[in-house]
Amino acid sequence: MTGDPGKRGERLPFGIMGAGLATIERRIPNEEPPPLPPNPDLRVIGRNVPRQNGREKVTGAIRYTGDIALQGMLHARILRSTVPSARVLNVDLEAALCHLGVRAAITLAHPGNRVTEYVRYVGMPIAALAAVSPEAAAEALALIRIDMQKLPFVTDMDGAQTASAPHVFAPDVAPNGHPSGFPAPADLPLRGNVRGPTVERRGDVGYGFSTADVIVEGKYRTHVQTHCCMETHGIVADWRDDGLTVYISTQFTAGIRRELADAFGLRLAQVRVIVDGMGGGFGSKSTLGRYGWIAVALSREAHAPVRLILSRAEEQVDSGNRPETSQQLKIGARRDGTLTAIALSSCGSAGVGLGAGVGDMASSLYTCPNFESTHTDVFVNAGPGCAMRAPGNVPGAFSLEQSIDELAEQLGFDPLALRDRIDPSPVRREERRIGALRFDWHRKRRRTGAPGPIKRGVGVAQSHWGAYVQLDSACEVRLMRDGSVEVLSGVQDIGTGITTVLAQTVAEVFGLEARDIVVRIGDTDFPAGPPSYGSRTTASITPPARTAAWHVLQALFRAAGPLLGTMPAKLVARDGFIMAGHDPAKRLRFSDVCADLRTDSISAIASRQDDYGGFGRQYGNAATAQRDLGGVQFAEVTVDTETGVIFVERVLAVHDCGRPMNPLQIESQVHGGVLMGLSFALFEHRVLDPRTGHVLNPNLEAYKFAGARDAPAIEVIVLQNYQASSATDAYGIAEPSIIPTAPAIANAVYNATGVRLRTTPMTPAVVLSALGRRPKAEASS
Amino acid sequence: MKRFAWTQPTSLASAAAFAETTVADAMVALRPDTHAGHGAVLQAGGIDNLDLMKEELLQPNLVISLRAIPGLDKIEKQEASWRIGAGTTLMAVAGHPAVQARFPALATCLNQSGSPQIRAVATLGGNLLQRPRCWYFRSIAFDCLRKGGGHCFAILGENAYHAVFDNEVCAIVHPSSVATVLVALGASVELTGPNGATRRLLLEDFLVRPKQNVRRENDLQPREILTAILLPNPSASVRMAYLRLGEKQAFDWPLVDAAVILELDASSVCRQGVICLGAVAPTPYRPRAAEATLAGKVIDVPTARSAARTALDGAMPLAHNEFKLPLIETVLRRAILRAANPV
Amino acid sequence: MISRRTFIPRSDLPVAAARPGSGAAGDRSPKEPETATRRDVIAAQGPDAVAMTLTVNGIARMFEAEPRVTLAEALRGALALTGTKIACNRGTCSSCTVWLDGTPIVSCMILAVDVGNRAVTTIEGLIRDGNLHPAQAAFIGHDAIQCGFCTPGMVMSCAALLDRDPRPTRDAVLAAISGHLCRCGTYPHVVAATLAASEEAKS
Repeated sequence: MTGDPGKRGERLPFGIMGAGLATIERRIPNEEPPPLPPNPDLRVIGRNVPRQNGREKVTGAIRYTGDIALQGMLHARILRSTVPSARVLNVDLEAALCHLGVRAAITLAHPGNRVTEYVRYVGMPIAALAAVSPEAAAEALALIRIDMQKLPFVTDMDGAQTASAPHVFAPDVAPNGHPSGFPAPADLPLRGNVRGPTVERRGDVGYGFSTADVIVEGKYRTHVQTHCCMETHGIVADWRDDGLTVYISTQFTAGIRRELADAFGLRLAQVRVIVDGMGGGFGSKSTLGRYGWIAVALSREAHAPVRLILSRAEEQVDSGNRPETSQQLKIGARRDGTLTAIALSSCGSAGVGLGAGVGDMASSLYTCPNFESTHTDVFVNAGPGCAMRAPGNVPGAFSLEQSIDELAEQLGFDPLALRDRIDPSPVRREERRIGALRFDWHRKRRRTGAPGPIKRGVGVAQSHWGAYVQLDSACEVRLMRDGSVEVLSGVQDIGTGITTVLAQTVAEVFGLEARDIVVRIGDTDFPAGPPSYGSRTTASITPPARTAAWHVLQALFRAAGPLLGTMPAKLVARDGFIMAGHDPAKRLRFSDVCADLRTDSISAIASRQDDYGGFGRQYGNAATAQRDLGGVQFAEVTVDTETGVIFVERVLAVHDCGRPMNPLQIESQVHGGVLMGLSFALFEHRVLDPRTGHVLNPNLEAYKFAGARDAPAIEVIVLQNYQASSATDAYGIAEPSIIPTAPAIANAVYNATGVRLRTTPMTPAVVLSALGRRPKAEASS
Repeated sequence: MKRFAWTQPTSLASAAAFAETTVADAMVALRPDTHAGHGAVLQAGGIDNLDLMKEELLQPNLVISLRAIPGLDKIEKQEASWRIGAGTTLMAVAGHPAVQARFPALATCLNQSGSPQIRAVATLGGNLLQRPRCWYFRSIAFDCLRKGGGHCFAILGENAYHAVFDNEVCAIVHPSSVATVLVALGASVELTGPNGATRRLLLEDFLVRPKQNVRRENDLQPREILTAILLPNPSASVRMAYLRLGEKQAFDWPLVDAAVILELDASSVCRQGVICLGAVAPTPYRPRAAEATLAGKVIDVPTARSAARTALDGAMPLAHNEFKLPLIETVLRRAILRAANPV
Repeated sequence: MISRRTFIPRSDLPVAAARPGSGAAGDRSPKEPETATRRDVIAAQGPDAVAMTLTVNGIARMFEAEPRVTLAEALRGALALTGTKIACNRGTCSSCTVWLDGTPIVSCMILAVDVGNRAVTTIEGLIRDGNLHPAQAAFIGHDAIQCGFCTPGMVMSCAALLDRDPRPTRDAVLAAISGHLCRCGTYPHVVAATLAASEEAKS
């Protein structure tokens, strides 16, 4: 173990700042930079450095995909199915191709092909074309003639499981596994529309329940949530004889390049993927998608650049969604709070897609020797689901954290005390402690019910998310002779602020300010970066950035040593100077040293090393750290028991993400998680018409998500939780921050009203029904 | 949006002369099998027209902008009433000192309608004439009764936001919250024809129930322009309140809203009460039996409670909107009490 | 301001207005006008592209567009001012907010041809003499930005508020942004930024 000559021993900070921060010895690869001290000892990392592209964003200068206009660019439109299930007998493009403005048209449904001749949801692409203007494309689209044989369909998850339900897929053409974001196991049986089950088992739940003193059980239901990125999916595809360039609103440039190369028979070197401004993804822009393929195919066909921007209605119907779920959760415990068994039986529907599993929360958050989860995916004739911010764990937390609350009550425990008993994480323990103090939890819990219809309550819930790392993440750092510094990576900034964090990371190494660093990302011409999903971006790309910068600095030191008459190893870079130790007399301006470089620039590329202490799990190019990411949120709500309106007044979010790189940006992301979680809890519901399969609210008016007036006062506390795992020790925050919000609100509603809401969204209709409020008029019937 | 020609006449007469159809008629004329542009329609702020045209539910040949016609955005005091030009923006109406002073319920309602950006453009007339928000009506995929089709999809479909009164034929709710208040205030509309002739009728009578005509929400005729809304000057003894309840705290359509106008005598006894409920019926709904219970009473909690209960008489909730009944009761009770005891 | 004009005698209206692509209405015989006289003519533009002049950020800009083109589309298309964003295209998210004579409106819900001589201010026009508007600077300082797509519209609303009311209350800020949707959740920082900008303005 210690004999590896490629590694050296180092002591790294380890533990939580303010709660027993210590150091730990790690063997780290020799090419890795020296350990990074805790944030208080740093000058740029850990500070609220303003967003690197903030000026471009507040002035509207930054370019999003839809802002790109290439010479001779065509405009594409997709013809989509208006029926939920049909066999396509004929697609006639002739009239459309005769339209003067049309340059290319393609068919996506191929009669006679057992896989593609069926349409399976309203909104499914059937054909597409590219024309000289959006107006011409729209006109020509109306000229495409489709002959279809309508087939029976089913849109509700319960109905789809009955014996008489029409089958969404024949078994041999059903999707098997999931292409994006989150895993759906392959090769499971399909009976009718029900695929699975997937079973996960530890110990013996039968025995576990038999030894329980208390058992709680509940049925939970969560509805479809759509991503609602403000920027709809969009792509500009430019197919040339010598290669393909696409501008696409994506969470993963490197992944899109691989997909495009595979799909169109190109070499990786022939494909370039670019994204600058990116208007939100939340999981839905992880892959190329059907629309992306369509734009590229049309560009190839037309020999011209093609722009395809989805309309809001297309976005809401066919760009992915968080699957609906139904969960039966049963938990047994002894009087001392120890869990004896957890049994979760769930089904979920991602429409014509897969991946509605919810078991990770129940399986992973608490210590329990006996666990069993059984999950089935149900196909219905609706647009496909895909990963959405903390897939699985958002609905999974909604059931688990309410059940734990229920258990605490039955056992006579405070909800925090029970979690202290069953949650093995020292990090969440500290988060509960800090949070309870700041929130004034114990006093607020004791508050007795106020008179009048408005009831007030508080609730708490916890987060669990894997600390993901993308192993094939790389970054280049270049230093120019004039002292300017560039960071280059394919990684994309989807709004989380990785641009700024990369600048901070590199500036810290060179003793410069973040604003001195030019960050060029979102382009596959640079070393491949990680995806911006799974909350893994910061953990994956900041260590290589620091490492690459450190290598460049060593080269600079070699040049500076003779100038300062000092051994390079004794030099430090600080405050814009290269100095010998801390001798202020022996120093040179950073830029003066650079001016003396023999070459115009020096550069280094580094890639993500394994976590210094090893990973928890590794799968392909991804891995999870040994510790999970925690998070505890406290919510205070008022419930108007006469109207059923829940208002969330305050949320305290206590989180950890390893070393916080930029606390203000982290706070921004936590706000986003809390608000999306609140919105999931209270408002969001994609409504499908059961008689026609149409989405009735494919807009941002009837599909409701939280506005500024719905936002609570949100306080964010972020721990500094050093794990001695990488060159930066930083992790993500996007997903942990949404997971506990909905159950914290539901638990607060219970605390306020004594009524447990097990369905999202918790609209006035749902609340009034749960409260048993019936109309009092005699005449109503 | 389909192509159309556009014109901006400078006189009411020519605008009216060329407005050969109403938006409602143009939408009915647009059968799914024709895809033919149809008719010339009037447009003031244009918010609802654009919405309909973007969905291709409305495909006029000609859009006649009313914006260049002088005088449509005046607010002026007349003998016994205030006359508000139909072309006045919601923002201008809400900000007018007389409206704030004399019709506070209207100002409250206006400030909760749409967003500031919408209120800066949308006009009072356009707000009253906007088409319903029913999601079946608003989708080209549904050839519903109101668009000239065969049946109402909402009655047996997804109807949580739909009517609980007067919903046997078509279950829309009237889209204008402002109308809820204006009906309660006894407002009239002034309609001007191409020869300059005007007719005036109570807004309440101008609005059309599904049983009268399911293809329109009002009695606007072709070649007729809604030019003004007339509000009878309230006496000093009148108190009023407007209250709405939505799922979201702002920029959301109400689940239920209520306007209450009380005329109190010197000893706080209610001489007359007017109640209008919105978002519960295809037209602003006046529960007259409930109004009657207020007369001669001191407005206190039991009176308000009793009137609110009475207001539910005749309600026929659909499969998904029974929850509106307790909401009506609560919102109305609170509105009555707020009118009697302004905060 | 319209230049190219088509004078349409009333009785010819349906035919004249129905150019190719606008739908064939020629098969319907127009009804005789009941009260208007046949002598009435109106100046109609389109449906083909017509020349328009819009005053945008203080500069008169001429371009051609069909009457159906919205202000948002004209800004982003013909005028290449892509800072204005279209996200819902139905006036429900306010991402496309610009000022019309200084008042925020949603540019996706007004026809370009209907703007007339009112002054349009877009996010590109908010910088004065190279200086950010105080709202813009505060947005950066308070990180009231994430993906940035709703940001130009949000900035326009907050800047208009500050110009109108240099010391707004928290409630006034919430009212000013009540029509905006932001999926990243920037609202708390937007409110903080705007209030802070007002404090800087008064100090």
